[in-house]
Amino acid sequence: MPVAAPPVPEVNPLREGLEQERVPEASCLVIFGASGDLTHRKLLPALYSLTHDGLLPAGLTIVGFSRPDYTDDAFRAEIKEACNKYSRTRPVDDAIWENFAKGLFYVKGEFGEAESYVRLKQRLEECDRTRGTGGRRLYYLAVPPAFFPVISDILGSQGMVTDPEKGGPYTRVIIEKPFGHDLASAKELNRVAVTTFRERQVFRIDHYLGKETVQNLLVLRFANGIFEPFWNRQYIDHVQFTVAESIGVEGRGGYFDSAGITRDIVQNHMLQLVSLVAMEPPVAFEADAIRDEKVKVIRALRSLPVERQTEFVVRGQYGEGSALGEKAVGYRNEPSVPPESRTETFVAIKAFVDNWRWADVPFYIRAGKRMPKRVTDISIHFRPAPNPLFRRVPGVRVQPNILAIRIQPDEGISLKFDSKVPGPAVRSAPVTMEFRYATSFGGEPPEAYERLLLETMLGDSTLFARRDEVEAAWAWLDPLLAAWAGDGEPALYPAGTWGPPEADLLLERDGRRWRRP
Amino acid sequence: MPSEDLRVDVGAIERSLSEIWRNQNRDEAVTRAALWNVIAHTCTSDEHANAAEVLCEASASVPQRTVIIRSDPRAKAELTSWIGVNCHPINGDKQVCSEEIAIIAGGELVHRVPPLMNSLLIPDMPVAVWWVGDLPHEDEAYVHAMLDPADRLIIDSAAFDSPADLALLTKIAEQTTTAPADLNWVRLEEWRLAAASIFDAREMRPRLQSVRRIRIVATASSDAPPFGENVGALYFAAWLSVQGGLTAATTDYQFERRLHTRGGGIAFVEISFEDGTSATIRRDRERSVLTSAIDGVERTPEAVTRSLLNRPHELISRQLKQPEADRMLVKSLPAAAQIATRMVR
Repeated sequence: MPVAAPPVPEVNPLREGLEQERVPEASCLVIFGASGDLTHRKLLPALYSLTHDGLLPAGLTIVGFSRPDYTDDAFRAEIKEACNKYSRTRPVDDAIWENFAKGLFYVKGEFGEAESYVRLKQRLEECDRTRGTGGRRLYYLAVPPAFFPVISDILGSQGMVTDPEKGGPYTRVIIEKPFGHDLASAKELNRVAVTTFRERQVFRIDHYLGKETVQNLLVLRFANGIFEPFWNRQYIDHVQFTVAESIGVEGRGGYFDSAGITRDIVQNHMLQLVSLVAMEPPVAFEADAIRDEKVKVIRALRSLPVERQTEFVVRGQYGEGSALGEKAVGYRNEPSVPPESRTETFVAIKAFVDNWRWADVPFYIRAGKRMPKRVTDISIHFRPAPNPLFRRVPGVRVQPNILAIRIQPDEGISLKFDSKVPGPAVRSAPVTMEFRYATSFGGEPPEAYERLLLETMLGDSTLFARRDEVEAAWAWLDPLLAAWAGDGEPALYPAGTWGPPEADLLLERDGRRWRRP
Repeated sequence: MPSEDLRVDVGAIERSLSEIWRNQNRDEAVTRAALWNVIAHTCTSDEHANAAEVLCEASASVPQRTVIIRSDPRAKAELTSWIGVNCHPINGDKQVCSEEIAIIAGGELVHRVPPLMNSLLIPDMPVAVWWVGDLPHEDEAYVHAMLDPADRLIIDSAAFDSPADLALLTKIAEQTTTAPADLNWVRLEEWRLAAASIFDAREMRPRLQSVRRIRIVATASSDAPPFGENVGALYFAAWLSVQGGLTAATTDYQFERRLHTRGGGIAFVEISFEDGTSATIRRDRERSVLTSAIDGVERTPEAVTRSLLNRPHELISRQLKQPEADRMLVKSLPAAAQIATRMVR
């Protein structure tokens, strides 16, 4: 009787106990748009850092694909310079680089030209033979969304995409935001995606989800017994989300003017944060279980009453002012921005998650450009303690506790509470307990793209937006965006301030105020 | 940067530390931080000075309350203490500061050290005892008294003088709630990474079970090196056997020595398979990397693993950054002790 071969272990047992217990199998990663800024500043520096830390397999092969004419060596030289400038593990270590560069290739091609893909396919097959990549493919589309249908069509027609239902080596595609311009275009993009790929082959990158602090939201909420019992309408008065940028449009005037801050930040990053803060505990720490709960939150967002939008929404646009001590021009004077532009550079929204846990708890969301500083911050404002004990004590002003989660920069968590001021009189003052990543853990956390690229290679889609999440987010914002397209002007605010006064009024009407992050 | 140490009364250590914090210049942004209680147990003034320097550097990446104990029963009877603060800049203008307490005990007063040490621990923070030098396996009771509050015991088996030390470490791992951590094991991480990279490819994984010989060449400071210089190679062989499911009946272990000024480091590994092929890992000192290659498999490119920084404070920090016991060390220890016994025979 023939002896059956022993089964192949699913994971490499020698990886057990090492920092990364799972290392992806060698594959070919094709970057469409390899000559672009994203590739140079983020993608390849991230891949180099992962290699530096021993987290990628020896045979990993990266093929840059774009229009300019480079030799492999010229491409490598340019990427080495980029890694020296932008990688977390800079300066480049020559021995590591030498080996990394052996797996770095370039194919010149046009995104819409089938012949270019024939050359690309030949190069990939050659890598399969020489580098042990076994037909595994990752296609990273670092290109404007308009190219997505073109590229995916040709990849499909050239037989460069495998069907996971039929087994064999995997093919995955990674796409960057914006995932559409509105609900209709998002649906169209998703429809195109699934004509060539299955949903589980599509990885939609929202780089916020790659940030350590964003991932820590799940640990904070579900690994600590003290928070979850209070994480509901009984104890929480309201929640604030701020994504502030001190910069203006920085050379992206053309793109930004067609999008606005709501499409650029709120539809994706901010609604991801809202869903992580508001979601129910998932049944398992698995991609679909987590995304199922996140999408429920977005679907539970109360429709914004467009006809009474001023009660719920404020849109603003920065005028002239100063930012970080420098004079700043108004938005309409930025390069590539039409002088009559009505595009919002600031938005504040009072939202409600209409479910059992959060009924009538306001979620105040604001995002803006040219604000006093760059900061992303979430604050949970608890209901104040009942006050009969200290009502007649003049020195005690009972203030609500605030749990503040700083996503960036200076990542950390703080809890504000009242304490007695030492002395014979009974007086209270707010104090904070602080946790800072840099203080407790030291060093720089990995770049968001490092984590996301690694997860793509491992095939774990937990940190990526799913089709229904994207569409639900657009469905919530679409009526508002459509109404804005019709008429109305954004309120002006001077560059370097926290937005127009109307944004303060939005909270003052409810007896609240924005927390200064 | 360490501050000037201040001699204080043993009974007033906590109060004196509080005063230091109260007197901090309020204009400076200073954060007092601690993730661990780290107790260094030393016997000589050289060990004491070295431990203080190492833990001061380690506190930059793992804030901690450091307690350094110099305990020498042969010295004159005394019990004295000093306190100080180690501060490190973060984000430009801020400083994170950790506390350091030094205790010197001699003569019969050494027996007062364990309760004193217990009184100085920050509550709710894990406790690591770093035993500098050889483990006194001949005085197990004292070791156990010192380890009573410890969640982790940090040692460096390179300083072991006999297989009995390895056996004591195995016993501590098996019979107490103190998890062992060995700096010598941490030094092997780059070798483990390099070995793992050989078996990352799916087609290589089944070959792990067909390993027939493990040949390890290690550096030695003399023809008859102290036992501690063998432990790295023993650990590596034990780990590979445990994780690969190998047994002494099917696998041949070969340990070779290469004279070098600094003994104890692995220099070369050859893993031979049933079919006659082999995989090798060699250190390239010039390029600070390890390269792994597999004979007869041309499709898999050579893997290059960066040599890790192995200065003592980096090894300690890497240990303290692991929130849990190193289960691989715990798994490998009995096998290492067993192979060591065979080696001695």
